[in-house]
Amino acid sequence: MSPVSVVAPVSASIAAMYQDALLAHHRAPHNRRVIEAPSASGARKNPVCGDEITVMVSLVGDVVRDVAFTGRSCSIATASASMMTDAVRGLTISESLALADAVDRMLHAAGGSAGSSEAGAEPLPDPLTPLRGVAPFPGRHGCAMLPWQALREALRAPAGNR
Amino acid sequence: MSLRPLAPRADFPLLAANPGLHYLDSAATSQKPAAMLDALRHFYETANANPHRGAYALSALATDAYHDARATIARFVGVADADCLIFTRGTTESMNLVASSWGGVHVGPGDEIVVSALEHHANFVPWQQLALRNGATLRIVELTPTQTIDLDMLRDMIGARTKIVAITHVSNAVGSITPLQEVVRIVRSRSAAVIVVDGAQAVPHLAVNFDALDLDFYAFSGHKLLGPMGIGVLVGRRTLLEAMPPYQFGGDMIEWVRDTDSTWNVLPHKFEAGTPNAADAVALAAAVRYLEGLDMARVRSHEIALLEAAEASVRALPGVTVYGPPPAQRSGVLSFSLADVHPHDLATILDQHGVCIRAGHHCAQPLMRRLGVSATARASFYVYSDGSDVDALVGALTAAQQLFATVD
Repeated sequence: MSPVSVVAPVSASIAAMYQDALLAHHRAPHNRRVIEAPSASGARKNPVCGDEITVMVSLVGDVVRDVAFTGRSCSIATASASMMTDAVRGLTISESLALADAVDRMLHAAGGSAGSSEAGAEPLPDPLTPLRGVAPFPGRHGCAMLPWQALREALRAPAGNR
Repeated sequence: MSLRPLAPRADFPLLAANPGLHYLDSAATSQKPAAMLDALRHFYETANANPHRGAYALSALATDAYHDARATIARFVGVADADCLIFTRGTTESMNLVASSWGGVHVGPGDEIVVSALEHHANFVPWQQLALRNGATLRIVELTPTQTIDLDMLRDMIGARTKIVAITHVSNAVGSITPLQEVVRIVRSRSAAVIVVDGAQAVPHLAVNFDALDLDFYAFSGHKLLGPMGIGVLVGRRTLLEAMPPYQFGGDMIEWVRDTDSTWNVLPHKFEAGTPNAADAVALAAAVRYLEGLDMARVRSHEIALLEAAEASVRALPGVTVYGPPPAQRSGVLSFSLADVHPHDLATILDQHGVCIRAGHHCAQPLMRRLGVSATARASFYVYSDGSDVDALVGALTAAQQLFATVD
């Protein structure tokens, strides 16, 4: 543990989960592939490290039927994208965007001195649980949010966006 | 590994309070010795007043302290004419000052500005934007396979159209030392261009003599050489500084202000508008005196020993790529990448081992593109670094590789 670290402590079980689940998603990401002729797509680049993620979505009505991603990124961005594709498949557009907001809140809540606030205790779908392990590392929040921001861009764009 | 620090950790309050910390990001900013912090406090406690403006003894004290600081720093970088040493906020502001004030007037359509592919954004973007605004062409000198400036290419690029050559003394990203005497010889023999040098990473590590180098402008930042943040330097040739228009307007830089127009004060005041950052200038002079006490020749030999040790250990790791030239042509930084570990992940894992490195593009995106990467990991050493820092770095890198090793 860094002697000058002022981050909130992470419980041993979450830390372990972060390590194993994160690495599993990093080594074998789910849905890292191209969707030909997606209904919508969005791309985001992290200017700090040059990582980029493109998210492609197939919609049936307003339901996300299929979601996938491509790009070059660090383990946290890759793992977050991988988990995202598991969590978002089958949700509506508004449910998906609400989930992106929930992930955003979860990451930023845990940095406070009060420890877990309501946002910290807000439930997340099971596939996303390992993302809680990123919350104590503010320097990596941008990595975890990168695929979600690409998703937001895809889902907020007008129909027919490529 | 028994390499000792050149300056004792005990002299640096933050390091003394954090014995498990291995701070290897001095290229980003240096840690601060108590001597500098004491000088800063001492100014505010004993000599604080607005320099130049008051008619009382305390103001005279502040004025003298400010200008003594200027003289000390001028001597440190080989500037005999101390009034040509302008205090700025840092290297970035210094470069913007030259681009705006000298470049704005002298660069026009058909002119060329030459920079290198090594440049930090502070010595790249101002010239790029000046060229775009004024209709000039930006030309970029490319690099040798060890990321030093290609002097043959520089030679071919310099000509009658060249108005500005902006070059780094030491690369912050990969550490390459530019052979400035050779560059000056090439530029002077082929053009009337002004030579602007980014010394931010050089002044902390190497003995610099501005007058001997025959440069036109030289910039550096105090916080990289044990000084406080928010103070830096622009050194300029007197004839150029006197001829160019001011950068900022206001108090102190004027002589007479009529309703319709104004006249300018002499150097250095002409380029120091407003209340000066006297306290930080005084603190920077204290940092300079601390470095002089260590002796810059020993600063350089200490860092070469650390760089050699670090590079040898890092190169022994599997899948490693080291960027930049050999230690004799390099200063301050070891930039590298590991095949299986993204630099960002590397920095996070190293943080958990108490090792601070920088992962990213190091404000040198043009260079990163040429290296074919979006980011590298960078460890940088300074006077308080020692063998235990090298050991901690390598131990943490090994742990990171084990964590990310692909298991088939």
